[in-house]
Amino acid sequence: MAPLTQNGQAPTGRRGPTAPPPILEASGLVKHFGGKRMLLKRSPLVRAVNGISMSVKEGETLAVVGESGCGKSTLGRLLIRLLEPSAGDVIYRGRNLGNLTPDELRRLRGELQIIFQDPFASLNPRMSVSDIVSEPIWLKGGSSRGERRDKVVEILRTVGLRPDMASRYPHEFSGGQRQRIGVARALASDPRLILGDEPVSALDVSIQAQIVNLLEELKERLKLTLIIVAHDLAVIRHMSDRVAVMYLGEVVELATTDTLYDAPLHPYTQALFAAIPQASAVARHSIKPLDGDVPSPTNPPSGCKFHTRCPHAKPLCNEARPQLEAVEGGRRVACHFWREIAAAGSDPRPIARPSARLEKRLALYTACQAGRAELLSHRSSTPTAKDQTC
Amino acid sequence: MAEPTDAVLTLENFSLRFAPGRNLVDDVSFSVAAGETLCIVGESGCGKSVTSLALMGLLPTPPADIVSGRATFEGRDLFQLFDSAMSDLRGSRISIIFQEPMTSLNPAFTVGNQLTETVLRHRKVDKAEAGRLALDMLRKVRIPAPEKRMSDYPHQLSGGMRQRVMIAMALVNEPKLLIADEPTTALDVTIQAQILSLIGALQEETGTAVIMITHDLGVVAETADKVAVMYAGSVVESGPAEAIFEDPQHPYTIGLMGAIPSLGRRSAKLATIAGTVPAIEAMPAGCRFAPRCPFAEPRCAEAPPLVPVGGKDDHRAACWFAPLEAHFSEVA
Repeated sequence: MAPLTQNGQAPTGRRGPTAPPPILEASGLVKHFGGKRMLLKRSPLVRAVNGISMSVKEGETLAVVGESGCGKSTLGRLLIRLLEPSAGDVIYRGRNLGNLTPDELRRLRGELQIIFQDPFASLNPRMSVSDIVSEPIWLKGGSSRGERRDKVVEILRTVGLRPDMASRYPHEFSGGQRQRIGVARALASDPRLILGDEPVSALDVSIQAQIVNLLEELKERLKLTLIIVAHDLAVIRHMSDRVAVMYLGEVVELATTDTLYDAPLHPYTQALFAAIPQASAVARHSIKPLDGDVPSPTNPPSGCKFHTRCPHAKPLCNEARPQLEAVEGGRRVACHFWREIAAAGSDPRPIARPSARLEKRLALYTACQAGRAELLSHRSSTPTAKDQTC
Repeated sequence: MAEPTDAVLTLENFSLRFAPGRNLVDDVSFSVAAGETLCIVGESGCGKSVTSLALMGLLPTPPADIVSGRATFEGRDLFQLFDSAMSDLRGSRISIIFQEPMTSLNPAFTVGNQLTETVLRHRKVDKAEAGRLALDMLRKVRIPAPEKRMSDYPHQLSGGMRQRVMIAMALVNEPKLLIADEPTTALDVTIQAQILSLIGALQEETGTAVIMITHDLGVVAETADKVAVMYAGSVVESGPAEAIFEDPQHPYTIGLMGAIPSLGRRSAKLATIAGTVPAIEAMPAGCRFAPRCPFAEPRCAEAPPLVPVGGKDDHRAACWFAPLEAHFSEVA
């Protein structure tokens, strides 16, 4: 493992030139599931996370991306200590989470919160919204019933729900609204860091955009640090400052968002990008499928775990595991041959831009939504011109 | 957008409801020709899946009530066929692939068994011949070591492999029409790319007409020749894929496109569509999108017809104010 100081130090575009100290540092994180002795044999050992070191900087949005079974959710949960690592440490603001007593950890829990993927499964159907949101405040202690009620009202407003909804139960809400309740619950204990585990992937596109915008606003306003675990690469590009790409329990590439998307170095990152269908007639038939399936994490390949599917694989990839080495600008990549691959170049995939007509109408759409547009015709024919504006 | 001459399936004025009152699917028409892919795109509850189930004769009636509509397939109206005639068509002339391959395959039978059964049900061949056809099909969907896979059970396969088996079952009898209902939604992006390119390649080879049902505009752009955008049970915009992406006209289509983040550099906040899809009992009269539409005007209380827009006969939108820039302007 490379030392922690090599973690992405480059300041990101949206955050000014001085890099703040990391809020969270993980070193050598390992999580294995199973491997227990059953009656006659051992249950299979799943190597979910295999030696990951990374840091999360105060105020950034760090995305962890990968396909199902790559260990991204496990990593997220290790980082906020919802799971105990098999090996390795997580240092949160100078304190090793592994050394805390359960009591200390519970008190710290308010600062480290999570938003779950499925807003249908993650809310207790027997609790009202007000109970759901006030429970974390109550757990923190030191607040009266009246204070808690005021706080719930304030938080519901913050996430775009009406305060009178507080007495309702989860089943009375749509998916998007439920996810807002999930966000409200995470905010209730005044967290510093929130883990979003696929926070928008269960939602419809139009609702997804509402939640993405909400998370961004909250992050700005409340000075939060976000860790987003997701598989949707477009959502990640939109939301995050840095991205860690995972494959079979390992980080294969870590870079600031723009650097990564403009020129992915690891063959897996390249393959991921090449597989995304883009919503544009121009980009049609530009996806390039990768062969094969993700190998099972109970029996991962030797050496570089991606070599079984990698178009650039050479004998060395089968033998030695590549280190996550530092490249310029705080970028890190785990590939023996990234230099050769980068030098050989690949035909860059066209990134779809919205058509001119769509852009014009979209501008009109958002202007109208904000009340900054008006209807041109019919105005003279109707006396109440005011009704005719958006 | 009916091209009656070479259309494999023509659906006209299809309306469906589950309870007296408003139609869940309202006056939907489309057609698809041999070798062509029609994508029906829309969010949950827009009626896209229920339409496909009705076409396959897989909706029990009652409770479903087909209020009106004709689905012409090979000269016959699918909605008028008896169950027995429909099950002769299903799996042979028309096939369907569902979203979740694990729940669509029978966990108690091997892949080979299920594939062979599909052949035996519809073709006059003996068991050995059916097995040979099944094996051929597994090879065609590029399943590695197909001989070995024939004796595997569904749970022994990965998600991508299961979806390949589903595709093999759907195409083994060389159907004229394939309905793919969110075939890649449950799959990872690299596997999705494999499945989409496989469907495309097989379609090119066999000339099957495909109706692809999806919520993902990326999948639409990748596969569609024609697109129908559905919202709350009706088609709000339809046309050639290029026209839909280059010149979207309906506010819903525009909002939907603005709501998906792009892979390119971040430019602005995502556009949102305010509110949620109305429940069926609260379905507005007139334009069903009006309550969420930033451009809604009193006139929208009357339902707009699906009419040609942008100077093209086959590009249609159901909005009183298309094109928007002719009716609205930004004020500083």
